[in-house]
Amino acid sequence: MEIKQTALAGTLESSDIQIMLSKGTDGVSIELESDVEKQFGDQIRLVITETLHQFELDNVKVKAIDKGALDCVIKARTIAAAQRALQTQDQPAWEVF
Amino acid sequence: MDNEIVDLHLRDRHERKQWESFLTDLGITDFSTQETAAIDFTLGIYEGDRLVATGSAAGNVLKYIAVCNKDTTNGARFNAIVSALINRLFQQQIFHLFVFTKLKYSDSFQHVGFHELAHSDVAALLETGDEGIDDYLQAIPRVADQDTKQVAGIVMNANPFTKGHRYLVETAAKANDVVYVFVVNTDASLFTTAERFELVQAGTADLDNVIVVNGGDYMVSFATFPAYFLPTADQQVTYQTTLDARIFRERIAPALNITARYLGTEPLSRTTGIYNQVLTKELPPAVNVTIVDRKQTDTGTFITATAVRKAIAEDQLDSLADLLPVSTVTFIKDHLSTLRARIQKGMNINGN
Amino acid sequence: MAETTERLRRTMMFVPGNNPAMVKDAGIYGADSIMFDLEDAVSMAEKDAARALVYEALQTQDYGDAELVVRINGDDTPYYHNDIKAMVKAGIDVIRLPKTETADMITTLVADVAAAEKEFGREEGSTHVMAAIESAKGVLNAPAIAAASDRMIGIALSAEDYTTDMKTHRYPDGAELEFARNMVLHSARAAGIAAFDTVFTNMDDTEGFYRETKHIHQLGFDGKSLVNPRQIAMVNDVYQPTEKEIANARNVINAIEEARIKGSGVISMNGQMVDRPVVLRAERVMRLAKASNLVDEEGNDLEK
Repeated sequence: MEIKQTALAGTLESSDIQIMLSKGTDGVSIELESDVEKQFGDQIRLVITETLHQFELDNVKVKAIDKGALDCVIKARTIAAAQRALQTQDQPAWEVF
Repeated sequence: MDNEIVDLHLRDRHERKQWESFLTDLGITDFSTQETAAIDFTLGIYEGDRLVATGSAAGNVLKYIAVCNKDTTNGARFNAIVSALINRLFQQQIFHLFVFTKLKYSDSFQHVGFHELAHSDVAALLETGDEGIDDYLQAIPRVADQDTKQVAGIVMNANPFTKGHRYLVETAAKANDVVYVFVVNTDASLFTTAERFELVQAGTADLDNVIVVNGGDYMVSFATFPAYFLPTADQQVTYQTTLDARIFRERIAPALNITARYLGTEPLSRTTGIYNQVLTKELPPAVNVTIVDRKQTDTGTFITATAVRKAIAEDQLDSLADLLPVSTVTFIKDHLSTLRARIQKGMNINGN
Repeated sequence: MAETTERLRRTMMFVPGNNPAMVKDAGIYGADSIMFDLEDAVSMAEKDAARALVYEALQTQDYGDAELVVRINGDDTPYYHNDIKAMVKAGIDVIRLPKTETADMITTLVADVAAAEKEFGREEGSTHVMAAIESAKGVLNAPAIAAASDRMIGIALSAEDYTTDMKTHRYPDGAELEFARNMVLHSARAAGIAAFDTVFTNMDDTEGFYRETKHIHQLGFDGKSLVNPRQIAMVNDVYQPTEKEIANARNVINAIEEARIKGSGVISMNGQMVDRPVVLRAERVMRLAKASNLVDEEGNDLEK
């Protein structure tokens, strides 16, 4: 599935992660900026990818700026960004929650 | 409540005063009308009654960002205010943002996902959002074996495309394998961006080695070079054009193998005159600058787009044939009432 | 009444629902109840994000023994139904309805909650509700609201909106809240549910906070809504039972134990029959004493 418009969720504040989704050309590509990239970069990417996968988004460009977010925060922000990108905030995808 | 992000209303005299005095304490002192009038909204964070952070947006440009880091984790308020500005702009469907900042703050912005386009000794220009300069460059058409070709670039507003522009393009086209003509993207001129682009294309259609492209946000755009569109002090013009020149030198030229930039002499516009000086200083040796004397009419007057706009406003269409290629003359005749209406509505025709 | 055994509800700490740092750490301050806020603390553009954040946090974060409450958006907003669904699916303990004005609003809420429990396969009746009273109409209807459903666990006064509705504002002495406090409290007691007092927002006025907390403790409120974790210890301090209260309670507990051993249906102390309210009060004092670390699990004094 393709996204309908560029969307953003999350903030740049401590313990949060800002996730931006825009139209991609080549699968799911993730540009990650994080102070803990070395230790947790792979895990952060995995949570984002799995969540997008549940929305069946397979062509999307992700820009993520992590400020020390827990997995549950990463997932929540990815969900919010995906629903905004698909313009379905008003019909939450309960199966992904 | 403390540390919540709130809207600041600069029309309110009390809030405006508090905002200005906070910024002044942090070394931001230019509150001239042309700077502040463009602001679309301003956010702030208070600690009790004290303003401790603020930031504004004008179009897709973040401005007047200032943060007091007393009694807080370093960077927390900066991140909060920048984050809130970005979120607000995204809600307004503005997905590509710029910030023009003092060089020492470039790192702070890079830490929250901005990418630096260029910097000078004093200032830096950064962008963030869903598309960046690499996406822009990737989408530009190229010729086969471009790496081995002699490639030149010209940047023009072409408001509208004149015989002077034509002469400049022709000169470059004769001396190079490929010429890119970048048409200024900012829509702040009598002729719209689409119209200007179309007229450049029509006026160069017979030149096979000319590629007309939109200059995007990276060449003489409102984000990188607001002084081109607004009356501005010389020093500001130099700051801005230095960054514009460096983006061209460091990002655009290498990606397209451009090694020459063609400019027209600028006897009339002070801002463009400074721009040409800065380009001449900044671009070489990576990019050679060739200045072509401005084309004159048979009777010896300089051909300028300003004169064309004046003729439209004053209904002296007979003079146009001397100044414009046929394609532009035809367009003006076909759209005269629309153009006049724009002038009547207050479109400034004396700028660039 | 939702529960047979009453729990301590001295402190209900508000946590802005879209703030990951605060949502993450909400469990570490020892609040009796944690109230995640999807309503006033969240701007309209972030309602969807806050809902997802609180949902995911509830799935993974350990909030210990705290009772988990979420304040949803009102039934006059487009967020109401999705808030209920998300929170029921997440298994929240209590849904708090803002701006409650009639018993019907609770009846409707309970029906919506029941439907969500069914949709997401949660045990029927497992989600409790409570009402926030924020207007004159709400105060006057408080008795019916408090008794509107057996899912109700409590009723809270929310003073900011209430004082606005009353064309006044908050004063240090709280005289403007006296009637509302008593209405809410009486409605709660008559219905057998908890009563929560409103927030106190001026963090610099410690003295004023103690004064107000002592006052509502004296009236009989179960506890207070809080905006800052620093206020938790202060409330617990006010609610800490005295040595004399503990001694009395221990006597009552001993009498109950004696009656149980004797197999007697009647509890008596010093020749007097002990009424049920006295038993309940004694149990409550011992719970408070344990929570304040004054006695151990068996009710024996702890060294301070």
